[in-house]
Amino acid sequence: MELLKVNDIKKTYVSRLGGTRVQALKGVTFSVEKGEYVAIMGESGSGKTTLLNILAALDKPTGGSVELDGKRLDAVRERELAAFRRNNLGFVFQEFNLLDTFSLKDNILLPLVLSGVHPSEMEGRLKSVAVSLGIEDLLEKYPYEVSGGQKQRAAAARALITEPRLILADEPTGALDSQSASDLLRVFSQINKNGQTILMVTHSTDAASHANRVLFIRDGVVFHQLYRGESDNDEMYKKISDTLTMLRRER
Amino acid sequence: MKRGFYLKIAFENIRKNTQLYIPRILAEAGLLGCLYIMITILHDDRLADALGGSYLKMFMSFGSFVIGLLSFILILYVNSFLMKRRKSDYGLYNVLGMEKRHVIRVLFAESVITSLVSAVTGILFGILFYKASSVLICRLMHSGIVPGFYYLDMRTVIFPVVVFMFLDMLAFFFGSLSILFMKPVDLMAGKRVGEREPRVRWILLVMGIVSLGSGYYISLTTKAPLQALLLFFMAVLLVIVGTYCLFVAGTTFVLKCLKKNRKYYYQKNHMPAVAGLLFRMKQNAVGLASIAILATGVLVMISTTVSLYSGVQDTMNSNYPKQVYLSAFSEDGELVNHVSFDILSDIVYKAAENNGLEITEMEKTNMLTVSYLLRDDVLLTKPEAEEIGSWDMSELTSAIFITEETYERLKGQTLVTTDARDLGLEKDEIAFSRIMSTAEHFGDVPETLTIAGKTYKVKENILYFPISATYGNIVDLIGIVVADEEVMDEIYRAQRESYGEYASEYAGRLGLNFSEEVSSEAGESFSSDVKAMLNEQFPDGINFMIDSKWESLHNVLDMYGTFLFLGILLGSVCLFSTILIIYYKQISEGYEDRSRFQIMEKLGMEEREVKRTIGSQLILQFFLPLVTAAIHTIMAFPILLKLLKILMLTNTSLFVTCTIITLLVFGVVYVAVYLLTARTYYRIVH
Repeated sequence: MELLKVNDIKKTYVSRLGGTRVQALKGVTFSVEKGEYVAIMGESGSGKTTLLNILAALDKPTGGSVELDGKRLDAVRERELAAFRRNNLGFVFQEFNLLDTFSLKDNILLPLVLSGVHPSEMEGRLKSVAVSLGIEDLLEKYPYEVSGGQKQRAAAARALITEPRLILADEPTGALDSQSASDLLRVFSQINKNGQTILMVTHSTDAASHANRVLFIRDGVVFHQLYRGESDNDEMYKKISDTLTMLRRER
Repeated sequence: MKRGFYLKIAFENIRKNTQLYIPRILAEAGLLGCLYIMITILHDDRLADALGGSYLKMFMSFGSFVIGLLSFILILYVNSFLMKRRKSDYGLYNVLGMEKRHVIRVLFAESVITSLVSAVTGILFGILFYKASSVLICRLMHSGIVPGFYYLDMRTVIFPVVVFMFLDMLAFFFGSLSILFMKPVDLMAGKRVGEREPRVRWILLVMGIVSLGSGYYISLTTKAPLQALLLFFMAVLLVIVGTYCLFVAGTTFVLKCLKKNRKYYYQKNHMPAVAGLLFRMKQNAVGLASIAILATGVLVMISTTVSLYSGVQDTMNSNYPKQVYLSAFSEDGELVNHVSFDILSDIVYKAAENNGLEITEMEKTNMLTVSYLLRDDVLLTKPEAEEIGSWDMSELTSAIFITEETYERLKGQTLVTTDARDLGLEKDEIAFSRIMSTAEHFGDVPETLTIAGKTYKVKENILYFPISATYGNIVDLIGIVVADEEVMDEIYRAQRESYGEYASEYAGRLGLNFSEEVSSEAGESFSSDVKAMLNEQFPDGINFMIDSKWESLHNVLDMYGTFLFLGILLGSVCLFSTILIIYYKQISEGYEDRSRFQIMEKLGMEEREVKRTIGSQLILQFFLPLVTAAIHTIMAFPILLKLLKILMLTNTSLFVTCTIITLLVFGVVYVAVYLLTARTYYRIVH
C-alpha cells in the first residue's frame, strides 16, 4: 500500500533581486510503501533538503504534488498545516533540536502537549517509547546533561510518541560519533521492523545501508535507486558505495 | 595599522547595531541632561537670588547624587548587555587575525564615539530644557521673578560630562577585561551553554517573606507620625531586600509548583511559558526586581510631591483658621491677659491701619500648651514617665489648657457650636476634647484624667474645641477646659517643676483675620510694624511670637516647590531607566527565544500559539513589576500618610487622588513601552 506518493515535484527559487532562477528540483517522482525504510542520498546542493522541506509541508513546491495516505498536502489549509504535521509526521533532525529548557521527558511529551492529549494518557505512551529507545533512566535529565547519542534517541522518542504515519529524518547521524550513530541506526531498524515507515535523508553510506531502499538524487532528479533485496547491511554498503563511485565517474 | 582603520570599523559597527546603540545613547544623553539641569540650578545665582530658596541647593545636591548613582548602575547594566551581544563580533575579529589589543582598540573607538555623541546630545538637551526647568521651578515656588536668559557656565557643562566620561570609561574597562579573559572560540560561539534548572533557594525565600512582611507590618502598624519618620527608611530597606529576595526565590518557587501540577503544566498554553520563565527568571529576577523598585520610587515620589504641593492651600487653611497669631509670653507665670490684650489689640489695629488692612475678626485666647505622655487616663510629663520606665512615641500628646471663661468667650466666635450648654465646672472637674488624634485613639475619652498626681473628673466631651493647632499635627492634640485660673496655675507650676528650663509658658494669643487674604509683602510690613511697636511699648523686652499664614506659605512653597521639582526630575529619570531596562531585556530575550520558537514551529506548534505563548510570557514578566510596584505603593500608604502629617498635609483624599492618578499615568506609559518593545521582540523572534 502506498503511503507517500511524490509526483513530479518541481521547485524553482527566484532570487530576490535581478530575478535569477535556480531550479532546485526538476521533477522528482517516487513513492514509499507503508512500513518501508527509505534513504535518500545526494551530495550537497542536490536538492535533498528542499525535497525534505516540501515533504514536511514546511515549503511548497512550484509544481507537482505530494500525497500522504491519499491526501494531497496542497489541499490542507494553511491554518491546519501545523496540526497536520503534528498528527502525521515525526521529525528527527541532525542537530537534535531539543529544547534546553525542558527535561528529556518534557521534550518527548511536547508534541502530545501541543495536540492537547490528556496528561494521564501521556505517561503510558512515554513509558513504552522510552523503554524501546533505552532512555527510560534519563527522562528527568536535561539535554545538556546527556550525550549526543542519548539526545538523538530522545529526539527519536519525541518523533515516535505521536505514532506518526511517517518519520522524516534529516541526517540523523550527522552530529554523532560512530558508536552512537550505529546504535541509533540499530534503533531505527528496530522501529522499522515494528512497522514504522521511515524516510531518511543522508549522505552517510553507513546510514543509508540500513535502509530497504536507497534513492539517489542528483541535479534535482531521482537519478537511480537501489533495493536491498536479500542483501545484508555489509552487502548493501558495498552496493551503495559502488553506485556512488559510478555516479561520480559519470560526471 | 592605520589609525583611521579602527575608527572606521567602530563607526561601521555602531551603524550596523543601531538597534542596540541608539537607546543607550539616548538614555545616557537623558541622564546627562538631567544632571546638567540640577548642577546648573545649583550654580545659577540668579535663581538663588530670585527664590532665596534655602531648600533648593540641598535638594539639588541630593538629586545630583541620586542621578549619578542611578547612571552608574544603568550604564554598567547596559554595557554588560551590549558586550554579551557583541562578543561574537569581537571573537570573529580575533579569529580573523586581529590581536586582542586591536580588538580592544576597536572597542575603545566605539566607546569614545558613543560617549561623545551622548555627551553632546545630553548637554544640548540640558541647555534646551534648562530654561523650561527654571521657569517651572519659579512657577512652582510662586516667585514673581523669572530669570529670563539661558544660563551658560563652562563649569556646569564640564562637570556632568566628566562624570559620564568616567562612567563610560569604567564600562570600557569592564568590556576590555571581558575580551582579555575570553578564549576566541568562546567569543565566536557566544552561545548559551546548557543551564541548570534553577533550584528554589529556600533561605532567600524565607528571608524575602520575612523582610517584606516586616516592611509592610511597619507601614501598616506605625501610629505616631514621629515614629513613622524614624521607621520609614527601615521599612523602605526591608521592602527593597524583600523584593529582591522574592523575585529571585519566590518566582522560582511558584513556577516549580505550577510545574509539579501535571494537569496545569502539560497544556500547550502553559508548558512552554512555564518552562521558559523558569529559566528566564534566573537571569531576570534581579532586573525585574529593580524595575519594580524603581517604579515604586516613581509612584511614591510623584504622588507625595504632587499632593504636598497641591495641598498647600488646604494645609494652610486648616492650620491657620486666622491669618496671623500674635502670642506674648509671661516670664514667671503671671498672666498677661487683661492689660496686655488691650495693649496688643491697640498695636495690631494700628499696624493694620498703617498697611491698609482691615481687621474683621479678633480672637483672644489665654492658654497653656504642655507636652505630655497620655497613658490610659494619666497625663505624665516626660521626666515623670522616665522615672517609671520607658515611654513610647505614640503616647506623645500635646494638651492645650484654657479656663472655662476663655472657653465661653471663644465658643461664641466659632461657627460650629454644638456645645451650647454652659459647662459649669467644679475645681476637680474638666472638659476634655480630642482636637487631633490618630485613628485608634479617636473617640477615646477617659472618665477621669490624672495630672501631676491630681485626678479630675471629665465632665464633658467637647467635639469642637475652639482652638486648633497652629503647627503640624505630629502628635495627638487634646484640649482641656479647667474651672478657673487657680486650677490652671496649679498645672502650670507642676509642669514647670518637672521640666525645669524646658517648661511651657503661658501665652496670651491674639488671632486675627482680615477682610481679604493678605499678600506676603503687606504681611511682612504688618509684622515688622507690630514688632517695632511692641519693642517700643515694652522697653524692658517682651517675649513674643508672630506666626502668620503668609510667612508659612512662603516657607512651605519654597520647600514643596523644590520637592515637587525634584520629584518630577527624579521621577522622569527613574522612568527613563525603567524603559531602558525593559527595552534591552526584551531584545536580548528575543534573540535567545528565536531558536526555541523555531523548533516548536517545526514540531507543529501553530503560529498563533507561538504568539500566545510569547504573549503570556511577556505579560507576566512585564506586569509583575508593575503590580508589585502598585502593591508596594498601596502598602506604603499608611506610613506615607503619617509622614505627610509631619509636613502638615492631612488631606487624605487629596493624597489618594494623587496616588491613583500617578498610578494610572504611570500604567499608561508602561503599557505603551510594553507594546513598543513587544513589537521589536516579535520582529526578532520571527
